[in-house]
Amino acid sequence: MTITDLAPTTFSIPTLETERMFLRAMRADDIEAEVAFFQTERSRSVGGPLPQAQVWRAVAGMIGHWALRGFGFWALEEKTTGAYLGRAGLWCPDPWPEPEIGWTLMDHAEGKGFAREAALAARGYAYDTLGWTTAISLILAGNTRSEALAHRLGARREGEYLHPTVGAMNVWRHPGPGQVPGQTPGQTPGNPDTADWRPQ
Amino acid sequence: MISVSVPVLTTERLTLRAQRPDDFEAYAAFYASERSWGMGGPHDRPTAWRGFAAELGHWVIRGYGFWMVDVTATGETIGLVGLWNPEGWSEVEIGWAMYEAAEGKGYAAEAAIAVRTYAYDTLGWGPLSSVIVPDNTRSQALATRLGATPERDWVSPGGTSAVIWRHPGREAVTISGGTDQLPASGGTEARA
Repeated sequence: MTITDLAPTTFSIPTLETERMFLRAMRADDIEAEVAFFQTERSRSVGGPLPQAQVWRAVAGMIGHWALRGFGFWALEEKTTGAYLGRAGLWCPDPWPEPEIGWTLMDHAEGKGFAREAALAARGYAYDTLGWTTAISLILAGNTRSEALAHRLGARREGEYLHPTVGAMNVWRHPGPGQVPGQTPGQTPGNPDTADWRPQ
Repeated sequence: MISVSVPVLTTERLTLRAQRPDDFEAYAAFYASERSWGMGGPHDRPTAWRGFAAELGHWVIRGYGFWMVDVTATGETIGLVGLWNPEGWSEVEIGWAMYEAAEGKGYAAEAAIAVRTYAYDTLGWGPLSSVIVPDNTRSQALATRLGATPERDWVSPGGTSAVIWRHPGREAVTISGGTDQLPASGGTEARA
């Protein structure tokens, strides 16, 4: 047998930086927090609850998504504490209707604007680095927190997608790359929610 | 930024390389077929996609994982062989999922030996295991040809009953040498 080191297949996961967070590749020691999250009822909006072994595979799948699509979820790490806050990113597993911007926070990280800060960074990466011309978010009806955030990000409901396992999800359409900040019809120019919209 | 590299392994007839996006159609077809039952299938397409992605992510988390197996001369992809150790697994195992096109040519053994040799010589591991469900006679036959023997019963985290087979260690493989351990049906170890 010969080991050919000349031509390994390599894939990379970039790190983004926002005011309060690093968006970095998920790693093994994030899984413990995800296992705890996927035991809670809150995980129902993203396909949970799931047992530990399934969570491990789900995280492995989120990492592998980068190799298959060239984008994926980042772990959200708080700069000041190093704490794992959850994840956000760009998601399009088979058979997704089109790529989406997604976010999921751990319980302790909720209510501090982290999801919005991360979603803006992910959307900026999609538009400015990947060249996306549009983006959606799929949100389970009744997930009022995520619906509120989608609204604050300038997204609008436009239809339904029947997820093969989770069920019917609402499709929220984000403003396109030329529509932010403040250019989306119905959005107030200078809306503080979008004022920090720029590449991270 | 993190970067992950999946090495390429070559044998006399085969090239083992990282999974690519364009491998998914054949992978999904395999997992849609009854042939996949020994690997936990059949799986619908969304489940297969996430499994495929998880196998790539396994490389990042563990530093090893599955390779796609190509016939070098034709470029035909005939299945997957690799080192598998997700959460809740008994220990690291050599696993394989060979497509129908791989039948009867000794390719599975050739690929598995390449991976086992990589584990022993490059990673420095001890005797490896393979997890095989009862009645998977095809995999049992391959394990036997590789010199492995049944060791104990085991139940996967998903509740599947299986048997852990134990491979010969590095010394035993080296002593038996070359192709001697593959008497039956034509698998050849491409040790230079």
